Amino acid sequence: MRSFNDPRKAKIGAGVLLGVIGLLLLLPFIPLQAGAEEAKKEAAAGTEQKVEKAKDVFYKGEGEFGIVSGPPAPTLKYPDDYGTYGTFQSRTILWVANQQHLYFGSFVLAVPMFVFVMELVGMMQKDKTMAKKYDDMAHEMMKISLTAYSITAVLGGILIFTFLALYPGFFGYLSKIFKPIMHVYALLFILESGTLYIYYYGWDRMNDGGFLKWVHLSISFLLNTIGIILMFFANSWIAFMMSPAGVDEKGRFLGDIWKAVHTALWHPLNIHRILGNAAFGGGVVAAYASYRLLAAKTPEEKAYYDWMSYVAMFMGILNLIPLPFAGYWLMREIYGYRQQMGITLMGGLLAWVFIMQAMMIAILFVSTNYYLWQAMGRMPGAERYYRFFKYMLLVLIVSTIAWLTPHTLVMTPAELKAMGGAQHPVVGNYGVMSAKNTAINIMISTTVLCFCIYQRCNKVPTVKWAAMGNAFLGALFTGAAINIVFLGIYGYFIPANVRIGLSVPQVCTTLTCLFVGVTVNTMMLKNARQLGEVRWGQMSPRGAYALFLLAVSFTWTMAVMGYLRSSVRLHWHVNEVLRDNSPWAFTNPLGYAGNINSMNVLLFWTMLLFVFWLGALSAKKAHVTAEETAGVGKATIPAGSH
Amino acid sequence: MLKQRATSLTLQVLFAVLALPMVVWAGGGAGFIDAGKFALLIQMGVGIGIIILAWIIKDKMGIPLPKIIQAPIIWVAAYIVFRFVLQPPIPFSLLAIYMAVVTIACFLYVSLSQPSWEEFTSPIKFMLQEDSGKAKMSRYFTFAAIPLLLAYGTYNKMLPKFDEPIELRTVHPAPPASINVHDKVLNLQTAENPFRIDDSGKYLKVGLESVYHGKNPFAADAPKFLQSVRDGGGVFFGTAGCFFCHGDNLDGRGPFAFAFNPIPANFADPGTIAQLQETFVFWRVAKGGPGLSREAFPWASAMPPWEKHLTTNEMWQVILFEYWHTGFFPRTWD
Repeated sequence: MRSFNDPRKAKIGAGVLLGVIGLLLLLPFIPLQAGAEEAKKEAAAGTEQKVEKAKDVFYKGEGEFGIVSGPPAPTLKYPDDYGTYGTFQSRTILWVANQQHLYFGSFVLAVPMFVFVMELVGMMQKDKTMAKKYDDMAHEMMKISLTAYSITAVLGGILIFTFLALYPGFFGYLSKIFKPIMHVYALLFILESGTLYIYYYGWDRMNDGGFLKWVHLSISFLLNTIGIILMFFANSWIAFMMSPAGVDEKGRFLGDIWKAVHTALWHPLNIHRILGNAAFGGGVVAAYASYRLLAAKTPEEKAYYDWMSYVAMFMGILNLIPLPFAGYWLMREIYGYRQQMGITLMGGLLAWVFIMQAMMIAILFVSTNYYLWQAMGRMPGAERYYRFFKYMLLVLIVSTIAWLTPHTLVMTPAELKAMGGAQHPVVGNYGVMSAKNTAINIMISTTVLCFCIYQRCNKVPTVKWAAMGNAFLGALFTGAAINIVFLGIYGYFIPANVRIGLSVPQVCTTLTCLFVGVTVNTMMLKNARQLGEVRWGQMSPRGAYALFLLAVSFTWTMAVMGYLRSSVRLHWHVNEVLRDNSPWAFTNPLGYAGNINSMNVLLFWTMLLFVFWLGALSAKKAHVTAEETAGVGKATIPAGSH
Repeated sequence: MLKQRATSLTLQVLFAVLALPMVVWAGGGAGFIDAGKFALLIQMGVGIGIIILAWIIKDKMGIPLPKIIQAPIIWVAAYIVFRFVLQPPIPFSLLAIYMAVVTIACFLYVSLSQPSWEEFTSPIKFMLQEDSGKAKMSRYFTFAAIPLLLAYGTYNKMLPKFDEPIELRTVHPAPPASINVHDKVLNLQTAENPFRIDDSGKYLKVGLESVYHGKNPFAADAPKFLQSVRDGGGVFFGTAGCFFCHGDNLDGRGPFAFAFNPIPANFADPGTIAQLQETFVFWRVAKGGPGLSREAFPWASAMPPWEKHLTTNEMWQVILFEYWHTGFFPRTWD
């Protein structure tokens, strides 16, 4: 530690540390390299003695055949290959263990992402007060993450034991294929722990505002990289279970670990989960800040946590907006991999679970808008815009109704007869993709419009082209709405495959609103006349609760979509390779799945509230001094937060 | 003066609400707009009418409507639209979803801004906190009404019902990866309709068959595609007699249709064959109700397994005919 007192040595030490962590990041390449070497050796040996080759279940063309390097997938028998705890359903126990580990895993992956961005934004600030606020916020969230990290590790242990105790046959098969990856996974976990602790405990020592601070930020970058690689590894196992590759149809491993990792659904899952985690992280931090805002006793604390909840919400929504598009890509790949899987999800057995998901997504967007409307209550001058809120609400609700209308209706036979068929002649039109795409794009565009109003509600543009700019923005949003609705209606008159393609111009329209609308709006507000300072801390309790709702909706959506992703394998542990022969190889009724998901969400939030409480327990020092708080309003609100 | 103006404005609104669908109806006739779209227009008209009416009462006539009154009006108006205006009636499950959304919307509406929330909550606070006679009366009334409403709800819930149970039928169950028809294995992911060919005999990409829509399949010089459509029509109306159930307009309303529960699929609906691959439809035609997959519980389908009566070619031709007749295109995954 003494070396840290010598600035030169400290810099060298920090640089070496960074290099070591960076080098250790090469760990994942070891099994791939080792696998390749092994394959070469076996291929060479194959010239001398005959080796058995078999056809890959997924990879076609070159590399279609591989050297059989493992036993076939076992035919599991109940009860020999399955464990039980009394009369409890083993699947449900595993489901809970898995979901809780995933929640906390996502949390400890998502928070460092959030912290990295916040630390970077803080470093970019010219205003020292704002820079400190961002830095303090990042530091505080890292502290929360540290507690959650140990819970994640404990839950990971519980998950492994649950697998070993209840599904030994299945876990044995999976670990035979992925054994090198599993060990690297564990080693990377150790590396992540070390990096995390260095990052957190070195915060103050490395906060020199110069070289050391940059090294500190780089450690954060490496921490996030390790976290993402860890997630990719875990994703490869679930992707293998859904769309196996690198094995033959008997389930025999063909020697190339990369093929078993790089399956059809691996990357779509990776991208979807990165964005999902980032949105989840923003949501949970916003909930934490709201919790502290509601519990705050002093105006300073209220102001700080009000600001923090806003910044976190902003980060969450920024990642939420592209999430549906990543979801579309994932679904497209699922359809491409197996048509039956796609139909089971979207039109068949599990279609109603998508309605649950739609409900959650609608809640996410409506609660975001509601939060922004409430947030405008603390902005002098916002009164001018109050009258528009109800029309925006109307648009959101109409879109929600279209978004929620199911294609497959739940009804009694008498209702079916009264309706004259399985599809309703009017609302049946809302059950198809054309209506759904239209509804979600309108909802996102409305959210962007709401954000633009939020940006300007306590300001009056003074640029010369203000009138022209307003007209442009009006035309942009009106034109976008017309285009989205027109494309939606046009979709009913063209083939299904072309109709799917229409989602691209619809999405482009929405993204144009987002990027062009927000950019023009921001440019118009340059040197704008302020109608008053933001009264941080005066957020209505309803706004704080809206952020709670937002975060809970995130977690419920994760639960329901995780259930969906897992259920789509139906009676397979590994799709079409390893059959589930336990008594629980059936698809749960919706009510049961809903209850278990709700219980998982409740359990996670109970544990998370404990983590929040721990965070608050040690945070006795005031986050900002009175002078600093006074400076918040005066300071130019950072670009990322306003 | 105000009354006259109000009457005039109300009449104008009613006229506007009714005129649009009437004009469309009268102008295009039944061939231009079907009953479903007509009902949709009526519904939209009523919705817009309610909004205009509220705007006239509140902003033009200056009659104040407190938020605590506005919210139930919106709720009841939405209920009327979804329950009575929307025809044919929607199932209760859907009505419940819609009304839950409307209930949330009402809450959001009254709490959009702080002034609005205060306006909404002030009568409630008055009722709960004040000591005046009026407040006391409304308090007694409310506290008597809440348990009575709950009791009524409980009574309704406990009341024995003799309705058939609710069914969540999987309308589009996932097909198997491959099927065996007439001793040949057909991969449903990759198989193609052999009659989907252009004039030169090459495979016709989905969507390009629109050139044959509206053309006469009985013409002497009908191209190969239309000849297959004609043969498929022969199967539909002749060999197999599909029209007895699926209707001569392919709308699921044939003479036998209402003897079945559920009634046969309506191919004219954009939610049926237009959503499916041709191979999916082939699977359903060939294997019928008995060949439904496990997830298609409760296997409620009277569709016969047509592989026992038709050749493979006849089944592909009838599928070609169904798409041609309805003007829809099958789904493809590219």
